Amino acid sequence: MTTLLMPEVDQRVLFDKEKIVSDLKKFTNSNNIISDSEGVTPYETDALSAYKQKPMIVVLPENTEEVSDILKYCNENNIKVVPRGAGTGLSGGALPLKDCVLLSLTKFKKILEVDYENRCVVTQPGVTNLSITKAVEDRGFYYAPDPSSQIACSIGGNIAENSGGVHCLKYGMTTNNVLGVEIVLMDGTILRFGGKKIESEGYDLLGLITGSEGLLGVLTEVTVKILKKPQSVKALLLGFDSIEEAGKTVSDIISGGVIPAAMEIMDKPLIKATNDYSKAGYPLDVEAILIVELDGTESEVGVLITKVEQIAQKNKVKYLRASKDDEERLRFWLGRKAAFPAIGDMSPDYLCMDGVIPRKKLPEVLKEINKLSKKYNLRVANCFHAGDGNLHPLIMFDSNIPAELKKAEDFGADILKLCVQSGGVLSGEHGIGIEKRELMCEMFNNEDIQQQLSIKKAFDEKSLLNPGKVYPILHRCAEGGKMHVKTGEEKFKDIPRF
Amino acid sequence: MSEVYSPTSEQDVQTFVHSCFLEGSPIEVMGFGSKAIGREIQCSKTLKLQKLDGIIEYFPDELYIKVKPGTSLELIENTLEQKNQELSFEPSDLGYLYKGKSLKGSAGAAVACNLSGSRRFKAGALRDHLLGFRAVNGKGEVIKSGGSVVKNVTGYDVSKLISGSYGTLGVITEIIFKVQPRYDESQTLIIYDLNLKKALNVFSQSMQTSYEISGACYYPEGMASFFTLNDIDTNSSITALRVEGPKISVSERIKSLKKLFSDHQNIFVLENYQSRIFWKSTSDISFFNNSENTVVKISLPPVFTEEFLQQFTNEDIKFVVDWAGNLIWIEIAKEDSVLLRQLRKKVINFNGHLTIMKAPTHVRIREDFLTVVDENMKKLSLRIKDSFDPKGILNPGKMYSGL
Repeated sequence: MTTLLMPEVDQRVLFDKEKIVSDLKKFTNSNNIISDSEGVTPYETDALSAYKQKPMIVVLPENTEEVSDILKYCNENNIKVVPRGAGTGLSGGALPLKDCVLLSLTKFKKILEVDYENRCVVTQPGVTNLSITKAVEDRGFYYAPDPSSQIACSIGGNIAENSGGVHCLKYGMTTNNVLGVEIVLMDGTILRFGGKKIESEGYDLLGLITGSEGLLGVLTEVTVKILKKPQSVKALLLGFDSIEEAGKTVSDIISGGVIPAAMEIMDKPLIKATNDYSKAGYPLDVEAILIVELDGTESEVGVLITKVEQIAQKNKVKYLRASKDDEERLRFWLGRKAAFPAIGDMSPDYLCMDGVIPRKKLPEVLKEINKLSKKYNLRVANCFHAGDGNLHPLIMFDSNIPAELKKAEDFGADILKLCVQSGGVLSGEHGIGIEKRELMCEMFNNEDIQQQLSIKKAFDEKSLLNPGKVYPILHRCAEGGKMHVKTGEEKFKDIPRF
Repeated sequence: MSEVYSPTSEQDVQTFVHSCFLEGSPIEVMGFGSKAIGREIQCSKTLKLQKLDGIIEYFPDELYIKVKPGTSLELIENTLEQKNQELSFEPSDLGYLYKGKSLKGSAGAAVACNLSGSRRFKAGALRDHLLGFRAVNGKGEVIKSGGSVVKNVTGYDVSKLISGSYGTLGVITEIIFKVQPRYDESQTLIIYDLNLKKALNVFSQSMQTSYEISGACYYPEGMASFFTLNDIDTNSSITALRVEGPKISVSERIKSLKKLFSDHQNIFVLENYQSRIFWKSTSDISFFNNSENTVVKISLPPVFTEEFLQQFTNEDIKFVVDWAGNLIWIEIAKEDSVLLRQLRKKVINFNGHLTIMKAPTHVRIREDFLTVVDENMKKLSLRIKDSFDPKGILNPGKMYSGL
């Protein structure tokens, strides 16, 4: 674990802990307050498990009024608050502070209303992403964003991180699928942004808080849009002799007017690793695999499959197979979805990066990553949401070797800088959190950051809500950027990550 | 008379705004000045962005276009069309409403007003297609957010905040729009002679299918008379459903829709060419062409649309419903403030809101432009305004009094 600069601990708050606990009991059932060292341990980290810090107190409120009372109290008494959903975040957004009240929303787990007429679901924020789809799938509907952790991650957390998934190119991110929220500000004010109508007026505060990583308010209710499932879904598994050919195929598909539901590229090290792990039956004599998923009506998918096949052939595809049925389509995905555990099998530790690049830059960025791999003498495997340019390099290392974690982190930071230099951004779907905080200056100058900090002040004047996240504490550029996974220690290791 | 300044570079904008910040001089920010949207305001200075124009870069295979704010939407759309792409939020041409002729206005103004056409309920609003921007805030500082990639969780999504902020937060100097392939085929199923209730049922039923409806509007009897399309009977009420995509798929879905609504006698299909004209005219609010009255836009949950309109059956209003029942365009007599206020009062009861899109100057001075319900929301909005523009010099009062 590397050291991390966090906001200064308020000794007065720590000193007053017993009084704070007794005060909090006025706002919620005393069973909802955890303050002993053992009891707060499960909350010491999220899925970025390289960093751990026990919170001072954990509170599990049961309704909006309780959240409002607790926040108002903390605001008046200058106590820092860290909100937490399911704790599956990969960038440390829910990392506690030593002197904080950790506000866990896990008791907000009811779906409040399924409204087919207005095609939306109203739910509490602690409900998992997948439960929303489960609640409406019998009528043929679904909730589109599908982050890989969807069986465990909460919808409130999805909004905080503006979560993606493999289907973003066609169906958008969380921000394009949320209609409304009830939010509590740090001073206890309860507000509603948006609602069942599709458009609101005034400043788009709903758009602003989506992806704000829990810095602007605490969600207590969410309304999301649901869509009707497409009639038909098919996938193509394509193998190429070079990353360039695979990348060119992606560009040609898009400029040919086709927007697939998903497009994924894996490089050779990852193909081998995932195939060994999952027995997905991938061709092993190719340098890159491209999976293209197409959806729509039966005839539409037929037309699109033919079009993509023609584009692939023009780009010298070496292996081409279209899924005959849903079982085969899911088998194409099997290896890709096993990417993280497969790498976990190959290496004692790995870091998962989350940069975004313009699609056409993929071959040159991968070449640079391979050069860096040689420079740092660490192995790397790459998977790429090719449709939306989201690159996940997996850096393999062994934390038992002295200084190897630092080396891997430096390698990771170099990759993210490379993404930004190529015209991309630091994070596609994992968020900044504490993980990429110090790299924000790679993308933003001081005026940009000051503007964002002053937006924060409009919501939370004393900067008590989730402080120390997203923005560099000293506004300086340092090195960082990593999700460190120690073998056997990965949180939610059963969740397929992709 | 306001002093008009037309910058040609971001640096010019920055210098100008910075000096106004130091003096505390309010600035009215505009694109081409083609739409009088928002509250009527008086500023000693006007910043017109028409000359800060041009396409900076366009990469069809990266699905984005980067432009300066004074670039005309017409140029952008023509450029995209050459590569068979488009802005899929279907920007409205408000020239018809305001001047009775096409006048698409600038990209910057479209962003400032977050204007989206008939495909909005399927494709999202303009704000969903703004990937990033650069702007000069009220202190004269250049700020930026977002980028040219679609997936991005790097700091607050300020692009959302700037869309629909009517120039009150920053002077936009660069815009990055997401672009999408243009659909090969567009066809529209038209059902004649339905009343509003039945039309809304048709919307609801069709939205429960997987036919990917990308347009759903309703013209009451008499409201479609402006259409000059050969194939449309403009004497009846029109309920229209649009389907887009590859030709084979469109024909198939239209066939399925015909079957679904086979109970209705009077069904007709508009083929590609006429279908495109039909929806362009609808997105452009051509039914209130050059209106001299007050035109408002009402957004509310579609289940309340009928009940809401029922309350005004005895009033002298003209309306068209779009966005599958989510949007009502209404025209009322320009002097009728009582009716305007009643509409706003009722719409709040249905959790909706009302925006004045066009009104004579005296109405714009007297009446609220937007609907503010919650005092706390207003306070938060003021604090946000303050964080961008602490002296309140950018379009002061354009949205609300004091904002």
